[in-house]
Amino acid sequence: MHSAPVSTPEAVIATQALTKHYGKVQALVDLTLDVRAGEIFGFLGPNGSGKSTLIRTLLGFLHPTAGSATVLGLDIAADSVQIRARTGYLPGGIVLYDSLSGAGVLDFLSDLQDSPPVRREELCEKLQMPPSVLRRKVRDYSRGMRQKIGVIQALQHDPELAILDEPTEGLDPLMQQAFYGIMDELRAQGRTVFFSSHVLSEVERICDRVAIIRAGQLMALQHVSELLDRRKRKVELRWRGTAPDLSTIPGLADVVVNGDRMRATLLGEVAPFVRAIASPSLEDLTIEPARLEEAFLEYYAGDDASEEVRG
Amino acid sequence: MNLRLLVQTLRWNRVRLLAVVIAAFGWGALIPIIYVNFSAAFKELANSGAFPKELMNFGSGSLFTLPGALTLGLQHPLAIAFVGMFAVGSTAGAVAGARERGTLEVLLSRPLSRRTVYLTLGGASVILVGVVMAALLGGQLAGMAIQGVTGEVDLWQLPLVFANGLLLWCAFAAFGMAASVTFDRGAPAMGLTMAYVLINYFLEILGSLWRDVDWSQQYSLFHHFNPGKILTGTADAFDFVLLALATLVPVIYALIVFPRRDLAAPS
Repeated sequence: MHSAPVSTPEAVIATQALTKHYGKVQALVDLTLDVRAGEIFGFLGPNGSGKSTLIRTLLGFLHPTAGSATVLGLDIAADSVQIRARTGYLPGGIVLYDSLSGAGVLDFLSDLQDSPPVRREELCEKLQMPPSVLRRKVRDYSRGMRQKIGVIQALQHDPELAILDEPTEGLDPLMQQAFYGIMDELRAQGRTVFFSSHVLSEVERICDRVAIIRAGQLMALQHVSELLDRRKRKVELRWRGTAPDLSTIPGLADVVVNGDRMRATLLGEVAPFVRAIASPSLEDLTIEPARLEEAFLEYYAGDDASEEVRG
Repeated sequence: MNLRLLVQTLRWNRVRLLAVVIAAFGWGALIPIIYVNFSAAFKELANSGAFPKELMNFGSGSLFTLPGALTLGLQHPLAIAFVGMFAVGSTAGAVAGARERGTLEVLLSRPLSRRTVYLTLGGASVILVGVVMAALLGGQLAGMAIQGVTGEVDLWQLPLVFANGLLLWCAFAAFGMAASVTFDRGAPAMGLTMAYVLINYFLEILGSLWRDVDWSQQYSLFHHFNPGKILTGTADAFDFVLLALATLVPVIYALIVFPRRDLAAPS
């Protein structure tokens, strides 16, 4: 169902048959994937599918039941401290030290990281956290402001790898856009980001490759573009005169003709379809873009969990 | 041990520490004053036979001698509340509380090993307990100076009293830290540690009030903290060894268990 994982030398994260059980509950099952240097990797799945379990295992919070993994070429079991020294991590639903100010939290975590906060100023500017706001106690912050501090603390020391667990949770649309801009910059600078989310539109917007996980099992591991290419698109045609012969067009299905209009679904490449219908009698053509949501829902067909995923 | 985490942990406790230090100093200073002003009356009361002699003792302390009064002051529930606030409250919540709140995840996402975090938080607790013990003893010294009874005890033994008291509370703090790394929530860790302290206290007080079961005192860690014996030059090295062992065992347990535990996402 998914492409074979390739553990290349430049793999920043590589897992081999990684398995984690909580008693009888199988949180991760034989998970094998790789995240390559310089890519923004989306890790998709609804709540409870194993996303956070994988992240927590990679960072040493959890111990794998079986299998192995490396992060930045270091073994997760033996070199956890070194991994965390080179990684920035945003936990899902981050909790901060309420008695400290925003700046105090950032200073404290930066000191513990033992790396200078070289990106802090820039991140604070982009996420609209001016010094006047940073001087306030975290206990007075809204959820969105706490999340912004979470993003800043994860990235302020310019880590080689950022592991972000649902980073836009609680951010308003404006700040989500600012966050996407930060991701674009990280990509341009060759940084690697491992990004867990159940917001499909943002994964589609910023990720290079995506893994889809269901009940701890890897369902797909592909480039976002490849995944979208395989999706069905809704097409609608309107023409003058006689209806064109659509029977020979590959990938076209569910054809419904209603007078001078036709609705259908198209699977695969768009170009052969456009070439086939090109005619002077064609009056209008609408092709809806393929959405990651549809690809995702296909893997979760009949699964109640898919309801928790937002488009 | 991580110095930055240590300093921050002490900062988080500074206001509470200041309040407790003032109270502990005041309580410590009160003991020699009570001794000077009431020990004769207590002696008369004891000799009159109006009260059973056992009721004139409290744990290993009494009001008949200055060393006994100092011991009583350090074993009194008030003194236990002062020191226990840090030896029990801070330690039991140190890991389990942070885990429950979610801040442990933020802390451990830094390049800190769990052993480093444990030793740092444990080290902070030892410092806090040490400061409160010093305030209690400092208060007692001030009280003795005010009452002019410093000659009744060997003041050069005070550092040994401090070490004995610190060891006692380190044993409880180590137990609290061990409970803290064992549970995901602060309440069970706190409950277990409180129970441990109270059982030890009960065994000590029970044996002092009911002589038929005075053997129970031997099983109490409080019985091995005896400033009276130290100040009269009859300190027992066994007390120190036992308290050191009672500290070491939970420390070793925690150093083994904590790094091996799974820390699932806080609920």
